[in-house]
Amino acid sequence: MMSHQEHAHQTPAQLLAAQTSAAEAVPLIHNMPPFRERLQRGLGDENMHRALERFAPSWRQSRQTLFAAAEAEYGPDYSFAHLRQRLRAAKDEAIARQEELVAQFKERAEAAGAVVYEARTAEDANRYIYELCRRKGITLVVKSKTMVSEEIELNHYLEERGIKAVETDLGEWVAQLDHERPSHMVMPIIHKTRQQVGEVLSRATGREISREDVAEQVAVIRREHRQAFLTAGMGISGANALIAESGTVMLNTNEGNGRMVTSLPPVHVVLAGYDKLLPTFADAITQIRLLARSATGQPMTSYTTFITGPDRPGKEVHIVLLDNGRSAMRADPRFKEALRCIRCAACANICPPYQQVGGHAFGYIYSGAIGLVVTPFHHGLEAAAGPQSLCVSCNACETVCPVEIPLPSLILDVRSRVATREGLPWLKRLIFAAFARPRLFDLLARLAALGQWPATLGTPYVRYRYLRFLERLPGLGALARLTRWRSLPAFALRPLRDRVGVRADLAAARQRPHRAGELTVCYFAGCMTDRLYPEMGEAVIQILERSGLRVVFPRAQHCCGLPALNSGDRAHGLTMAKQTVRMLEHALDESGADYIVSASTSCVVTLVQDYLRLFEDLQMQSWLNRTRALAERIMDFTTFLLRVLVAEQRLPALRRPAPGSAPVVTYHDSCQSCNCLGLRAEARQVISEVLGLELREMTDSDVCCGFGGSTSIEHPEIAERLLARKLSHAEETGARLLVSDNPGCLMHLRGGVDASGKPLRVLHLAQLVAEYLP
Amino acid sequence: MNSSALFAQFQRRLSAAGGVAQWAEDLAQAAGIIATHPALAEQRLIIPPAFASCQPWGAILPLLRRHGLHLEEAATPEQVADAPAGLSSAVLAIAETGSVVLADNSLAARIVGMLTLTHFVLVSAEQLVPLLDEAATLLQTLTRPGPQQQHYISLVTGPSRTADIERTLTIGVQGPRALHVIVVATPSTGDLSSAS
Repeated sequence: MMSHQEHAHQTPAQLLAAQTSAAEAVPLIHNMPPFRERLQRGLGDENMHRALERFAPSWRQSRQTLFAAAEAEYGPDYSFAHLRQRLRAAKDEAIARQEELVAQFKERAEAAGAVVYEARTAEDANRYIYELCRRKGITLVVKSKTMVSEEIELNHYLEERGIKAVETDLGEWVAQLDHERPSHMVMPIIHKTRQQVGEVLSRATGREISREDVAEQVAVIRREHRQAFLTAGMGISGANALIAESGTVMLNTNEGNGRMVTSLPPVHVVLAGYDKLLPTFADAITQIRLLARSATGQPMTSYTTFITGPDRPGKEVHIVLLDNGRSAMRADPRFKEALRCIRCAACANICPPYQQVGGHAFGYIYSGAIGLVVTPFHHGLEAAAGPQSLCVSCNACETVCPVEIPLPSLILDVRSRVATREGLPWLKRLIFAAFARPRLFDLLARLAALGQWPATLGTPYVRYRYLRFLERLPGLGALARLTRWRSLPAFALRPLRDRVGVRADLAAARQRPHRAGELTVCYFAGCMTDRLYPEMGEAVIQILERSGLRVVFPRAQHCCGLPALNSGDRAHGLTMAKQTVRMLEHALDESGADYIVSASTSCVVTLVQDYLRLFEDLQMQSWLNRTRALAERIMDFTTFLLRVLVAEQRLPALRRPAPGSAPVVTYHDSCQSCNCLGLRAEARQVISEVLGLELREMTDSDVCCGFGGSTSIEHPEIAERLLARKLSHAEETGARLLVSDNPGCLMHLRGGVDASGKPLRVLHLAQLVAEYLP
Repeated sequence: MNSSALFAQFQRRLSAAGGVAQWAEDLAQAAGIIATHPALAEQRLIIPPAFASCQPWGAILPLLRRHGLHLEEAATPEQVADAPAGLSSAVLAIAETGSVVLADNSLAARIVGMLTLTHFVLVSAEQLVPLLDEAATLLQTLTRPGPQQQHYISLVTGPSRTADIERTLTIGVQGPRALHVIVVATPSTGDLSSAS
């Protein structure tokens, strides 16, 4: 990968091409089943789903409680937001000053008696540790949990050369005994039941170990490992931080094995990536405040150990600093941010698809969102190709990351590299090529609206029962199967653009005389509203106009490019981004509009966030400036409704529902609304205060509904499960109205309601408000 | 924050982590707490080597003996492994997290807190501080190069535990199954006549 500086004189096209070459690490992982196999296994593992689905809500709850309690007790300096800013700054400093801090760390650690070895590759690190064993005649090694050792397959390397490596962390040990890899960075065997653990332990010890009694199972490890601890010639640990100011290694553990591994054997080897460097103890304390809360929702790990050189004569401490793709990450202006990771796995804990497939499929060696991001650097782009396709771009991971890594956009970067390297599937390529041509797209959408009758029978849905007979056919069969659990929407015979009348005349809007204080809004509908749900768009226009605003609808508007960008097709995404920026600028010029409003938060996020990143990446400075200027005028409908229509008292007095007959509403937070735009209270305020309706919160209202753009087509099994959970949570509230403010979610939810026959009406917030206009 | 409020906070946090904190006015009271604990049923207590000369804690040893305890200096892991009770001292206690800071270069001293089943830790009320940030300052001092440099420092928060199997919390894995921190108001011997 090239550094930013090297990009200086390249054209956007060259940059697009250049950014597809990921750092090449040698893929060395043996016996790793192919992605498809891991995925099928994960999807079929009911025990694992249950475990992960049970874990997620309790983790969310305890994590949130802990951070809130700390803030309440100690003030805003101890809030999650503040702590993560501090740790992020410390990590960024460590990344920027790496050479200097390595030198300092080395000097202090060596002065304290440690040996520091810098390993460029996995092979270098493995060889160093093996040679150390060989020189000292060591044949038994005890290990405490280290992900870096999984990264370089140290156990395998040592065992091939006749050295026995025993994992002493309970979960790692059970995984080792069962010839498995950890499926979670912090809870390695979260995918196993106690029955399975009991079986593995019985097999390994040759004794009958309880299948039910976890305490008995835990007691086994204490007994079984005692001898190994006392006789091993070497202990190997990882590091949670390398503290430069003193040359200290920090280790966080719970079971007590870490202290034994690092204390009892005469040789201690620390295996750590350069990314573990921190400048000071104060930074390490900030990390401590974030790590356990983020990882398991506990306040602190039981043991935090600080090792500064050997503790006694005759003891040796060797610190192996591993690169293995990290300097390539550091050289990349975007991916260097991923080096901040402290391996807490919060990004896995909160990830909806992770819960459905587990860490063996959602990742490679490293799992969770961060796994999708770092795998190309440690194990090659190929290894990340399958797993990255599982991301639904819900952005939840970014909200909980304790070092603010922009995980969702880095995953999209990986996706676009994969797409360019492997090429998109022909169907997607064709679709995006059509999407990028507004007139062709318009024609195709109109033809589809006319020709869809056999699949819709004139209803608003493409339903399974109409298509069932196609199921056995190639191609069309796949479409039929997709509708089994979610009816697809029909194209509107008259798209919104055909219904807007004079509002499409931009210049006329400016020329008509204005009343004092009259606002003009340029409405960007988004293609889904335009082509599938024009009635949502009409509701928006109706509310704006009944509030005394002037609405213009530029007919040149087209798709913002989100589907292409989300699929890693940056070339077509770029075309559509430029089209949209140009179109909106023109519309503002012609109409003199004060705001650009969209009732699709996905489109808003694309316009105000994704474009900026795209133009920045491709160093298109003037486009970047133009987008920034536009972004100031863009507002999502929900915010606009509250901040302008309600706050400025423009919205007419709404009809109040008759007492006793008011419908009960439940609200689904679209990922883009809550995770990207930070909207949580706004829509709720509209429902309960502005409309005066009863709002009943559903469980996990802010967890992805499973649409995830094209992920729902690529991995329908996942989309189906997430949708089923969402709908049952909605149904449990007893509400009859399910409301959201993003057409993508609404399409998915409506389709699921239609296919399952659940007694729910699915509405856009604008439609709900419009129903109460006087 | 006054010392009783600070202790109450420390106690709450440690108890949330599965440990126990107790207040003792002086060493005599501390010795009584240890001696009457069920872990001392066999009256065997492992102590770090040369604990007698450890200021100010060495003075507790005669008091413990007076309770009839048999004190055994830790020497090898084999000897200490799974012994019912061990005693050591901490250099800092932190109310924010319920943690104690143990600093011992000697392996023999460390295994008391690593391998015994119930670990008693003495810390003076003076060393009880509100926030983890003070641990950072102390760590800087303790790791400073020189003959006093501490090579192995542990921040201990409760007994050893795991939730690896079905997220069922189990206390006591490789380390102690119980952690008992005694915060001593005045680490002097108190009224010797009443202790005897």
